Amino acid sequence: MLSGNTPSDLVIQNATVMTVTHGTIQHGSVWIHNGKIAGVGATVNAPSGAKIIDAVGKFVTPGIIDPHSHSALGDDVNEATSPVTPSMMMIDAFDNRDKALYQALAGGVTTELLLHGSANMIGGQAVVIKNKFGLSRDEMLFPNAPRSIKFASGENPKRVYGRRGEVPSTRMGNFEVMRQAFEDAKAYMASWDAYNAKVAKNDKDAVAPKKDLKLEALADVLRGKLLVQIHCYRADEFLTEEAIAKEYGYKIRAFHHALEMYKVGDKIAPTGTGIATFADWWGFKDEAWDAIPWNAVMSMREGVRVALKSDSNDYVRRLNQEAGKMVNYGGATEDEALRMITLNPAWIIGVDDRVGSLDEGKDGDVVIWNMDPLSTYARVEKVFIDGDMFFDSSLPGFGTTHFSGVMHEAGFEGSDDEGGGL
Amino acid sequence: MKPQLLIALSICTVFSCAMSPAQTVKPESVAKTEKTKTVAIVGGKVLTVTHGTIENGTVVMSAGKIIAVGPAKTTKVPAGAEVFDAKGMTVYPGLFDAETNLGLTEVASDQNSNDLAETADEIEPQMHVADAFHAETVRIPVERLNGITNAVVAPASEDSIAGQDSIIQLYGRRDQMLMQRDIALAMNFQGSVRRKGSSNGPSKFPTTRMGLASQIRQAFFDAQAYEVERAAGAKPDHKGAPPKRDLKLEALLPYLHGEKPVVLAAYESYEVEVAMSLAKEFHLKVILNHVTHAQDVLDQIASYHVPVIVGSIYDFPRPDERYDAVYTLPAELQKRGVKIAMSSAGGGEGGDRNLPYAAGYAVAYGLPYDEALKAITLNPAEMFGLGDSLGSLDVGKTANIVVANGDPLDVRTSVEQVFIEGSAVPMVSRQTRLRDEYMPLTTNKP
Repeated sequence: MLSGNTPSDLVIQNATVMTVTHGTIQHGSVWIHNGKIAGVGATVNAPSGAKIIDAVGKFVTPGIIDPHSHSALGDDVNEATSPVTPSMMMIDAFDNRDKALYQALAGGVTTELLLHGSANMIGGQAVVIKNKFGLSRDEMLFPNAPRSIKFASGENPKRVYGRRGEVPSTRMGNFEVMRQAFEDAKAYMASWDAYNAKVAKNDKDAVAPKKDLKLEALADVLRGKLLVQIHCYRADEFLTEEAIAKEYGYKIRAFHHALEMYKVGDKIAPTGTGIATFADWWGFKDEAWDAIPWNAVMSMREGVRVALKSDSNDYVRRLNQEAGKMVNYGGATEDEALRMITLNPAWIIGVDDRVGSLDEGKDGDVVIWNMDPLSTYARVEKVFIDGDMFFDSSLPGFGTTHFSGVMHEAGFEGSDDEGGGL
Repeated sequence: MKPQLLIALSICTVFSCAMSPAQTVKPESVAKTEKTKTVAIVGGKVLTVTHGTIENGTVVMSAGKIIAVGPAKTTKVPAGAEVFDAKGMTVYPGLFDAETNLGLTEVASDQNSNDLAETADEIEPQMHVADAFHAETVRIPVERLNGITNAVVAPASEDSIAGQDSIIQLYGRRDQMLMQRDIALAMNFQGSVRRKGSSNGPSKFPTTRMGLASQIRQAFFDAQAYEVERAAGAKPDHKGAPPKRDLKLEALLPYLHGEKPVVLAAYESYEVEVAMSLAKEFHLKVILNHVTHAQDVLDQIASYHVPVIVGSIYDFPRPDERYDAVYTLPAELQKRGVKIAMSSAGGGEGGDRNLPYAAGYAVAYGLPYDEALKAITLNPAEMFGLGDSLGSLDVGKTANIVVANGDPLDVRTSVEQVFIEGSAVPMVSRQTRLRDEYMPLTTNKP
């Protein structure tokens, strides 16, 4: 979706280009044609009329991608009235003028997965946005992104419902609630199958079952139509979640938080499930007590696909530094570290064919940095999304190119795991 | 490359490998090197803080103190000294965190592990964090592995006068750790300490900033009156029983006398101004804290001539502010001649160990590098009256020294060895033990 002022050809040249998929190019160029990357290399074949940005001494990366955010959802992160709420659509709470989006944009974040909170074993369905801050709600949606659904486990659901004297109040309860939900979904699907079979036989007496949004959403999980994103900290729970997924025949896309993955990376790697984890958060709750900052790299070395994420209106502004920490904690290469905040989160969201690296044919989502983005000292200078510039730090005021008017206070200051959120 | 301790005079003889896994089973409280030993750190890039950077420098420590700092050429390694080879590394003073809750909490969500603040009353100067300080906390070894060697332990900011801070060093037995108790008074003049009421309790006085201010003033007046009464009661000709000892009012007296600093937290411009007028009225010796949304009164803050613990640099700008309104604050204050420190408070769930990166972030937004390093070493040490013994690599100071494989303010840098009071601290924590336990056997050690 091109914005009005997208140049038809844009070349960022003479930069250190970190492609993510095929190494770093010194004095390289990125050519964006009609919003898509048309060339990346030491030279590109852009037409002579192309808009040129000379980026001598600068670094260029793909846009940063946050696979776990609760920004721009006001106070509506958790529909904490039932542990199973799969028909909640986060898009219905999406506030595109939330200042958190702007602050993330100024940190180079171009794509975010906005998730339901972790109060419920089965939460709501996520919305995927491109951070085209200043455009309309519809224009900020990531076109044709796969649907994701948020699950949770562990302390949050059992605390939320347990303190009300309801089920679940234990991890046994957590998983029982989930199994029952899928049993209900199976029965619902069977009732529709029976109805459809009757219709196929022209049975005039066939009565359609009642459409049930909640069971419909669960059925879509079982049909493999939703990417399952599970808030899950503990090693034992990864294994239980995988066993339940196997039992009911769906795939888990990623464990989120996943602070104990380093204990069982060898067992999870073969399932293909990825993780979206914190760089170094720890100790804020019991299930984060065994968190270690080497988790991401150790899990990666075991073959798990690893992304870093913010879960925070604060950290989303500096995911590049979180990636930089991986060089310290475990000796990730710069490519590996950068992949954790670009291509791997893109895969978790299911949009890695479109964003997450500087490759021909991908969306023109590009960040220009004043220096190596993995450094503490790195600042974002310009952000392009689909070839259109949305942020330029050299501009006065907010530095935004499309936004005018009044931003909204962030309804939810950050992580649903920092205590106050639930 | 891992650093190695070598014996001087027997060149290249490996004395012990500071990072070898075999050694990591030692308890975290036991030093590998006794502080009575003489150790020379040689070959590193030495950031002294007070007198510049020495590219190939030697730092010698003995009996817990720094006994020599200088260029390799002119700085003699004493005979018999253990030599720590820091070639290719950076050597700098231990970092000083100007506000932490270390030892007052373990797991934030577990109330039983929290001793953060008494909240029954707004005025709690008689609360001493030293009384709750849990020296064996798992958190301290975790934080010190990133080079934090000293910290202010403060109560959580839930009262207008929350209690008295202690200064700790992050190593040793409890009595060694607790360097000075009751070193400062923690005060908070900010909206969040009002008693507006919540699910945890009903609203009560003070629910407004007027209430906060009047309550603070009354407390100081009460303390002054108490002092007069106490003095009268101590006179030989005093009739009747001396006045009953009042711990709360008594606790305020050293601060009313300006003997110790008050760490005065305020976020908004008008909060800063009201808080400073209160401080002026009672002649308090102030260290301002936060001033996150006081961008429009920075010149006035400079005119107070008080030091400032600025930020957190990660505090959110308001919706009408530019994204970097807070990132630039340390630089803007320093530019105006304000002595600044930075703390890990408000730095997020990664922990106090991220203090150096906050300072680095301030550099990205205009703070000169040397000033950033000072903001987490010498400046806080001086603010709390410990500038003579901490915060720089100078002869005679406590040997709190960090050796890292690069720039201490960069997130990519790994700390290789921490010395506290001259002891080589075991570079282990609960987290490194978990790491080593689960290290993939089939792959390289990360």
